[in-house]
Amino acid sequence: MQTFGNVSLREAFGEALLAAGEQFDDLRVLDAGTSNSTMSEPFRKKWPERFYTAGINEPGMIGLATGLSMAGRRVVACDMSIFLQHAFAHLTTAARQGEDLHLIVAASHTGIAVGPDGGSAHDLTDLARMRLIPGFTVLAPWDGHQVKQALEVILNRKGCYYLRLNRPKVPIFTAPDVRFEIGKAVILREGREISIVATGDKVYAALEAADMLGDGVAEVIGVASIEPFDDATVVASAIRTGRVVTVEDHIFVGGLYERTAGVLAASHPTPMRRVALDRIFTTSGEPDELARLYGVDAAAIVEVCRKFLGVSD
Amino acid sequence: MFRIPISELDAHARQLRRDLIELIYRARSGHLDTSLSLVEVYLALVYSSSYRCDPSRGDWSGRDAIFLSEGHACPIQYLINARLDYYPVEEVFAGIRKPHSPFQGHTQRNLKYGLENSNGSLSIGVWQAYGFALEWPQDVYCIAGDGEFEEPSALGLLAAPHHLKPAGNFTLLLNNNGLAQDAATDIGPLADAARLYNWNVMEIDGHDWAALGEALQEAVRDRQRPKFIVCRTVKGQGGDPAKAGKLGSHGKPPANEAERNAYLAGVDAAGEGR
Repeated sequence: MQTFGNVSLREAFGEALLAAGEQFDDLRVLDAGTSNSTMSEPFRKKWPERFYTAGINEPGMIGLATGLSMAGRRVVACDMSIFLQHAFAHLTTAARQGEDLHLIVAASHTGIAVGPDGGSAHDLTDLARMRLIPGFTVLAPWDGHQVKQALEVILNRKGCYYLRLNRPKVPIFTAPDVRFEIGKAVILREGREISIVATGDKVYAALEAADMLGDGVAEVIGVASIEPFDDATVVASAIRTGRVVTVEDHIFVGGLYERTAGVLAASHPTPMRRVALDRIFTTSGEPDELARLYGVDAAAIVEVCRKFLGVSD
Repeated sequence: MFRIPISELDAHARQLRRDLIELIYRARSGHLDTSLSLVEVYLALVYSSSYRCDPSRGDWSGRDAIFLSEGHACPIQYLINARLDYYPVEEVFAGIRKPHSPFQGHTQRNLKYGLENSNGSLSIGVWQAYGFALEWPQDVYCIAGDGEFEEPSALGLLAAPHHLKPAGNFTLLLNNNGLAQDAATDIGPLADAARLYNWNVMEIDGHDWAALGEALQEAVRDRQRPKFIVCRTVKGQGGDPAKAGKLGSHGKPPANEAERNAYLAGVDAAGEGR
């Protein structure tokens, strides 16, 4: 698999945000006191007059961001994902203002990939929470190239967006000419026997797993757009293979697994397995260590797929 | 101080109270007593000499914006915007709390109708209004309830001029009627705290035209600090005197003709006293 270096989703975001500052005079960026973690810091340093440090005040930050967008600004509010749990009512009320707002909520430090900071810092429920709010487009891009493309798309189109980012470096494997589209999933690898539907920085692990399963076995579908969801691509693949495995760094409740299951149940009931966190609180550890411990790494995907296919080691 | 004489403001206030009683009686739900406590505050604001809006262009970029953070007071907002000619008042009576009407049980943002923000959960509108003010060239007002400042998030707004930056075009009007839904609410040292955080704090009688007019003039004069006007009001003011200023009527419409008439008699009695 050809890769183009390693970059964390938050670093790619920070670079793209800085570049967007040149392009859009009306761009305003906020952070709840985590700009050196979310990588909004370069923007803050370059354009302090267009940056608001809301402080350790997530509800206030989302309220302010909503107000700025109601005043006609293009707004990006950044935070570590777990802390946005404080702001749920403000996020809901933001979306209730109507479709003319232009508000992007960018969350870094999602899932167990945050690592040693421990369970209190692992946000395993962000996709579920954001899916609950009508009006929010929920995006979880899978590598640095895609983060930049996604940000470009949503900076040029009004609406309320949730952009799921992450902390560790991950390989870039999307060719720069592959365009990001809201509501479109991408078949990254074709296969006949099993469909692996993956999101965010777990897509790379899904591709590694497909390689391990052998040529033409697993079809890998990258889902960077959770809401809206690409029903057609996922259902067509399920019809072809008859088996679906979902992969996410998120609990199975309300995330990609249930999103996919909902679509399949309604149009083509298909046996499913999941690679996701159970409904638990997690522990400290290095990201790779935790992925192994909780069964959300490439080896775990392979194991789940083999068992599903009835293949014994 | 005001664009119209005090005698006209009085007439508006009387008619507005009658309309509120009738509207909420007919809707059979809604927050009458909260709206009654805001009659003078809201009218003083929209008829103050500095307030600018254009009801034929609700989204006019030259407007002063009014955010309603205590969303349950929306009946007064709906009736005042009708009075300002954003839409005919009949539309409010026909649509109040009906499916998909512009006049929901709490405000749904609709700039054409002069409804600046969707509200509901308390403490959110104050932050949106402050954020709006940071990027809005004209004045921004926010009407909030005193009980709303029991929410930590609203209380945190006091620190915004200090932590963020002072919005000199921002005025918060606090409806300090002292009664929340199921209990009295005491703002305690809220005004002192606001002073410490560099708000221009005024504490006034929220049913006194002159006091309201002076405070609103001061609000537009001081361009350096955000303003925090504590308007002491009486919940249910000018309605049924047996209910005004007492717990137990929050969100309760007049239950029957007799209760409605008691409210209306209160309006008439107050009018005769002037």
